[in-house]
Amino acid sequence: MPSATVNKPRPSELLSRLTSAEPEVKVRALREVKNQIIGNRTKKLSFLKLGAVPAVAGILADSIDDVTENNNCNNTNNFLVQSAAALGSFACGFDAGVQAVLDAGAFPNLLRLLANPNEKVVDAVARALRMIYQSKLAPKYDFLQQKNMEFLISLLNSEKETVSGLGASIITRSCETNLEQKALFDAGILRKLNSLLEGGSLSQRDASLESLATVFRNNPEVISKFAGPEIGRPLSSIIDLAKDRYPRTRLLACMCLIVIRNASPHFLQDIGIKTKLIHILLELLDDPGQVGDEAPFAFSSLIAQKEDLQKLALEANAIDKFHHHIKKGSLHPRRYEGILLALADMCSKLESCRSKFLSLQVLNLVADALTDYNAGVRAAACICLKSVTRSIKNLSAGYFMNETIVIPLVQLFLDPSTSVQVAALGATSNIVVDFTTRKSIFVQCGGMKQLVQLAKSMESSVRSNALWALKNFVFQADNRLKEGVFSELTASLLSSLIRDPEPSVQEQALALVRNLVDGCINLIEFVFAEDGLILGAIGRQLQCASKAEIGIQGMYALCNVASGNEFHREAVMQLLFTQMGDKNQSFVVKFLQSNDSQLRTATVWTIVNLTCPSSPGAPCRLEKLRNAGIVSQIKNMVNDPCVDVKLRVRTVLGQSMAFGDN
Amino acid sequence: MASSKKVIMREEWEKRLNHIRIRKEDMNKLVMNFLVTEGYAEAVAKFRMETGTEPDMDVAMIMDRMAVKEAVQCGNVEDAIEKVNDLNPEILDTNPELFFHLQQQRLIELIRNEKIEEALEFAQEELAPRGEENQSFLEELERTISLLVFKDVSNCPVRELLDSSQRLKTANEVNAAILTSQSHEKDPKLHSLLKMLIWAQNQLDEKATYPRIKDFLKATLENPAV
Repeated sequence: MPSATVNKPRPSELLSRLTSAEPEVKVRALREVKNQIIGNRTKKLSFLKLGAVPAVAGILADSIDDVTENNNCNNTNNFLVQSAAALGSFACGFDAGVQAVLDAGAFPNLLRLLANPNEKVVDAVARALRMIYQSKLAPKYDFLQQKNMEFLISLLNSEKETVSGLGASIITRSCETNLEQKALFDAGILRKLNSLLEGGSLSQRDASLESLATVFRNNPEVISKFAGPEIGRPLSSIIDLAKDRYPRTRLLACMCLIVIRNASPHFLQDIGIKTKLIHILLELLDDPGQVGDEAPFAFSSLIAQKEDLQKLALEANAIDKFHHHIKKGSLHPRRYEGILLALADMCSKLESCRSKFLSLQVLNLVADALTDYNAGVRAAACICLKSVTRSIKNLSAGYFMNETIVIPLVQLFLDPSTSVQVAALGATSNIVVDFTTRKSIFVQCGGMKQLVQLAKSMESSVRSNALWALKNFVFQADNRLKEGVFSELTASLLSSLIRDPEPSVQEQALALVRNLVDGCINLIEFVFAEDGLILGAIGRQLQCASKAEIGIQGMYALCNVASGNEFHREAVMQLLFTQMGDKNQSFVVKFLQSNDSQLRTATVWTIVNLTCPSSPGAPCRLEKLRNAGIVSQIKNMVNDPCVDVKLRVRTVLGQSMAFGDN
Repeated sequence: MASSKKVIMREEWEKRLNHIRIRKEDMNKLVMNFLVTEGYAEAVAKFRMETGTEPDMDVAMIMDRMAVKEAVQCGNVEDAIEKVNDLNPEILDTNPELFFHLQQQRLIELIRNEKIEEALEFAQEELAPRGEENQSFLEELERTISLLVFKDVSNCPVRELLDSSQRLKTANEVNAAILTSQSHEKDPKLHSLLKMLIWAQNQLDEKATYPRIKDFLKATLENPAV
């Protein structure tokens, strides 16, 4: 007989039944709540809001008391099982639920119940705890305490899969530091995990792989101890699992191998294993479920920053495969994001990869992703663009400065998500280094004005990235463009950015000035606008520069100013000497003595421009520099280890000799 | 086409086959595995008694699983859901597709029993949120709801949803999920063996002419065409 849907009690009615005095009513209501929330996130949320979790946790706590008083065993067990199962379901994949369960104080009770004699109770409780440990909100497990380690070992040694699975998930969630990893190794945990790998069930193997990867992460010492004297054998069981019949096992095994590869230069470096990993991960893309969604992320962790692997992946037609998958459309956002990031990693260093990418017309698909409803996808599309636009060949050809890309990209400057904004700015920074005369397209679609707006953002990462993009935009741009940028920015904004609280913002602002004043003498007037606001800001910032990069950009900006006329050079001199007469050393000498060769170079260049023989004021300036001890400092640098510094030092000394120096 | 393939005659073939030894215990295990996976609890118990072969799963567990499968096949989906949750609450919590299909089956049963108002309410409350979470679920939901539109359901484009084959499909899905959660393979090994046989013969066909098995039920060797 087909089931008739019974008239369901309203959630609030159910909740009140949970506190009923009659056990029959109570347990039925409990079971009903459990059955309503399992698989149903909406119901979990609505019951949560009604306060169901503390009520259920209360039933669990009361039942434990009944157990200790040896009251009515069967009934009590039933209550324990149902309440644990309900709590577990609230916590399953639902952070608000995990938090509620923890807040209701159920966690210590669940732990205690692992020792309960009834199997079903233990199963329900172990599952609930495992759900909690799958969340970032799980309480931190202190492995370094002897008692805790012993408890963990007892969990892993249990015959019950649910319990040993709990042990593994505790490791996967809580093991973070090298110290903890070593403690787990010393306690023999890895040997236990390995035996689960070889002799355990499917879920035990999978759980083991995840835990092993966590213990190995960034710890070459533990890895070499594990792979130990029997060279290759423990690793070979993991390698075999990479070819297992179950896709999830294959993925987890690959991820474990990748962790080992990345942490330790001694293992898994031969071309055979590299190729195998690439092929397995690419093939896992075909899995329609979660495994296929996660595969591209594993692929990224394999190839990121590694040219040899990117080359192998290119030969394995990785870009074609990713293209094929994106083309299919209606991708799960996680998968879409993963593939875009994988493409970004592929194209991050090698021109051959970028050429392949562009030849397959993947760019249009990525441009579409810029308007996706999911923020992660939008950010990933921008990151992908940033990689591809490193192609100087195509940048020069003006390939990217077109409306299909620029317009959606500029729209992302206003994206509600900061990470999307920053990623869009990153891509823009490359695109605007357009060596053709097509930069005006960017101005036309309002991009330049938007960048200036973003330079006023509350988020420092947005400010510094917007300035970076502007810096690249004005790089070797024509005067008209530069004037447009400057008038949009205004001297007061630029000078306040030079004095920004964040060092990264200061650096980019100074670099922007450097690029703005580079080239034409008229442009140097920018720094004198509004009573020399910008020049003053540069001076003050150089006096308290917190890192070398700020000094470098500031000095190059001054260097460019000093390449103008006499007035400009005198202004720079005045700036350098405002601190003179104090006990405080001029920042010039400090910079010349810096460990950073680029900073030394920039400073010497500035001196070169100030003492250029063709300028009438040069001898006077040289005298001042000599009196300040700067010339003798430079003389000491004749054998500077950096070639650039050495050459400029010689130029200065040559110039000074032209004025009769001895 | 002139055959460059090797030819193996029947006599030779049979002689080679006779050299291969298959143990009785292994065959028993295969049969037991089939009975366990398909869920024939009584047959499992009887076969165990008669041959001494141990099933790789408790008979009680098989019976629990079969109760779920039967509930779905009778259209008692709500009952089936409760039973699965008693077995292992994680199954439906971590299998959104399976959960959706079970809820979809519930909707189909309501429509079948002409409980239209209830069906609409159910679709609204339980299924619409699932559809919001996932595009393919939404499409399936729309297909199911469209049953309500047609006067003559037995001839509409989505009539297969009302078929018992739809119930069977859902039942098999649940059965597979339960087996997987118990770390047991969802297909009987016999199934894989037959697939292997077909594949192996296809491979060999490219290289040789030999007595093949065409009909698996009879397992007779067909004389090679010369």
